[in-house]
Amino acid sequence: MTLYSILFYLIAALILCATTAAVTRRNMVYAVIYLVLSFFGTAMLFYLLGAPFLAALEIIIYAGAIMVLFLFIIMMIHMEEKPGTFFPSRQLLPALALSGLYLAAFVALVSTDKGGWRPLAAAQALPKEFGIYLYNNHWLSIEIASTLLLVALIAALILGQKIRRRTGAAGKEAP
Amino acid sequence: MLSTLNAPISLYAAAVAALMPLLAFGAIMVGTRRHPRLSAALSIGAVSMSLSMAIFLLVHHWGMAKPLVFQTTWLVSGRMSIPLGFLLDPASLLMLTVVAGISFLVQIYSLGYMAGDPGFSRYYGCMSLFAWAMLTLTISSSLLQIFIFWELVGLASYLLIGFWFEKFSASEAGKKAFVMTRFGDVAFLLGLVLLWLQLGDLDIVHLNNPDIIVQRVSPGMLTLTALLIFGGIVGKSAQFPLLTWLPDAMEGPTPVSALLHSATMVAAGVYLFSRLFGFFVLSPVMLTVCLTIGTLSLVLSSTMAMVARDIKQVWAFSTISQLGFMLMGLGAGSLYAGFFHLMTHAGFKALLFLCAGVFIHHYETNDMFEISRKGGRTLKSAMICMLVAGSALSGLPPLSGFFSKELILGRLLALDNPVWFIAGAAGAFLTAYYTFRLIFIILFPRPAESTAGKDSQPDHHSHQVAAGAGVMSAVLWILAAITVILGFFETPIHHFLETALGAQSSLPIAHRGWLPLAAGLLAFLAIGLAWLEFGRRGASQVGFVERLPALAKFFSQRWYLDHLYRFLLDKLVYKGISRLFTWNDRRVIDGALDGLGMSAVGLGGLIARLHTGMIQYRLMVMFAVVVVLILYFGFSG
Amino acid sequence: MIVPFRHVFLLSGLLFVLGMFCTLTRRNLVMILLGVEIMLNAASVAFVGSALRWQQMEGQALVLFILAIAATEVSVGLALIVAIYRRTGSIDPDVQWTQLEEGSD
Repeated sequence: MTLYSILFYLIAALILCATTAAVTRRNMVYAVIYLVLSFFGTAMLFYLLGAPFLAALEIIIYAGAIMVLFLFIIMMIHMEEKPGTFFPSRQLLPALALSGLYLAAFVALVSTDKGGWRPLAAAQALPKEFGIYLYNNHWLSIEIASTLLLVALIAALILGQKIRRRTGAAGKEAP
Repeated sequence: MLSTLNAPISLYAAAVAALMPLLAFGAIMVGTRRHPRLSAALSIGAVSMSLSMAIFLLVHHWGMAKPLVFQTTWLVSGRMSIPLGFLLDPASLLMLTVVAGISFLVQIYSLGYMAGDPGFSRYYGCMSLFAWAMLTLTISSSLLQIFIFWELVGLASYLLIGFWFEKFSASEAGKKAFVMTRFGDVAFLLGLVLLWLQLGDLDIVHLNNPDIIVQRVSPGMLTLTALLIFGGIVGKSAQFPLLTWLPDAMEGPTPVSALLHSATMVAAGVYLFSRLFGFFVLSPVMLTVCLTIGTLSLVLSSTMAMVARDIKQVWAFSTISQLGFMLMGLGAGSLYAGFFHLMTHAGFKALLFLCAGVFIHHYETNDMFEISRKGGRTLKSAMICMLVAGSALSGLPPLSGFFSKELILGRLLALDNPVWFIAGAAGAFLTAYYTFRLIFIILFPRPAESTAGKDSQPDHHSHQVAAGAGVMSAVLWILAAITVILGFFETPIHHFLETALGAQSSLPIAHRGWLPLAAGLLAFLAIGLAWLEFGRRGASQVGFVERLPALAKFFSQRWYLDHLYRFLLDKLVYKGISRLFTWNDRRVIDGALDGLGMSAVGLGGLIARLHTGMIQYRLMVMFAVVVVLILYFGFSG
Repeated sequence: MIVPFRHVFLLSGLLFVLGMFCTLTRRNLVMILLGVEIMLNAASVAFVGSALRWQQMEGQALVLFILAIAATEVSVGLALIVAIYRRTGSIDPDVQWTQLEEGSD
């Protein structure tokens, strides 16, 4: 039981609890906040598993940008908390069944890996090394990802715009 | 076994005898329904041709040495083949003549009896159908063929019993007759199949050959098949316990009763027994069972006849008891005794029925007290013929009945156990008693009976006395003549049967000297008792049985057999088996089919819900497919 | 020495199932998208763990791209959700879109 393994289990527990809470909240804001907490945990996990750069990115991009975006949208949409059945059984039961199936598939897949029982050796990918590696081998993907981001930006603008023009309301803009 | 000299003529004669009535049936049913006289002419013409062919064959082959068989193979399947053909031997030729003769006479009689009935053509059509079936049955060469025509005869009986189908009781009676004989026929079929599996063929000549049988059939199986086939005989000949259909069958027209239910159809059972006599004789258990059932029927139905008020019912019970008597004779081991009684019985029983028919036709009632009050004794020819036939039935010398009864009693005497003889004698006593009870009641009317015939339903048909009377009387006299003289032909007939059948029928008949005297004395005693109670002046016309009301009720309710059957039917069949089958039909079969339909609808509904555009259902399907792919690629590579 | 790879992978699997559950069960378009985010995160965890197990940096590179994709997809998705909300006034995935015409402000 090394320190790292204790840490791992603690972080794993945190992630799982936070995510479960996020999934089951009625209030969407609470859900998003819990998910932010979960992503913090994931970032810590990444650091533990030897990806410090990614840990930082996780916090900046995922928790910082994407979740905040969610919050913006949630605040824009005035949704009352709906009473009644939270999880309709028509959807709950198939979802549970599928979950079970998936878990079974995962466990089965994992057990085919012969070396999986050995504890992982700790290592770290220094950001500098990581960057060199990335640009050496995946420079094309990076370029494409950049273009993709640009496309997304334009798309979001247009989607927000179109509706505004049609209804003619001086409304809120989509970010 | 083909005798080449006589082959073609006999074959053609037999074929004509058997098939002519079929052609008449077809022609009547298809063409001449609207022409009653033409239908009658066709039918009578056909049956007269059959009769002439039968007489020709009988005369031609008188004294034949061995049976004549004409056969062709009908169906073949592996080891088994079903033949179709004619078997001409003394028994079959005699029976053929008897059947053809009585059919002919009855059909002529019907010209008078059924005149004016709206179903006249249909009647003659059914009569021809019956004639075809019965005639072919008598000369069938294999057991399966007998079975086929056995069923056809049952069909004709059903059609004729329920001839006046507008009357509910008549159609019910027809149904009852058919269903009851069906029970017997099922046993018959089972026995037939078992026998077939054992032997591979059902040729009657082979069946009567003890060497073949003993080789290939074990004794237990022999007894079993014999008992099963006997079941069919019990059904068809209305023996105990399947005897209650015959009294109800009197709903049919009286000529039908005369032909079918006294002389020929019910005799088919006894005839079958004599056909397979060589086979049945090999199993002592069989013979004992036959004796028992015959005795039971004899005694039971005699008691029932003692309290009946309806003329036809008395003769119906009498038929049952006489058939039992024949079975006793056969079961005691004498083919000849039983067979001869069959022949003589056909004659005088048909005569009795036809006389009853004259009374019924004239007075439109079946009840004997009513007939006597309305002046029954004034119909001279009917009365005299009935007297003659009744005497024959009672076994008075020198009529034919006397000879045949004496033969059977003699054979019974030769058995070890005296109880059979005593039972036979008691039966003979009772027969004479109830016969003359009826005769005396009609002969000596008493005025003003308080309970007029409640249980008698007159045959309903239009009333044409004058036109019919001549024809009917003529037939009566012919039959009476036969009744008188047939007894004297006993010895030649015996010889005829003996030579061809050889060892089978020659179990000794004890011709004790005192037996004829005793038999005659018994008959006279019974007549005397009847005279005391019914005949003499001042007699109360209440029988000794009727003085004990409980006993009388017991007998008149037919020993509660009908009640027993109704009870069994209700409890076992309707409440038990029918309910089970209905439940199965509704819940299991219909339920399954409905369930299939419902599940298809349900499944469709389920799938329809997936198509509503609800994104999460689609996502579910996507995820499901993905996990399947994971499993597939993860574990197959 | 950290934990065996199996445990990391199992954690990733559980996270994925949670995300899938959220997607399939919540009657809220935003929550559906949230579930997708959770699933993507789970995949990232799996990749990082695999990178450590096989001591290659491929996994971490892929996580970077996952992050980029997630960002893209969320922005477009949320824009669509806002558009739907503006048009129909509801973010229930089960509602009949053609019938609601109110709230298109």
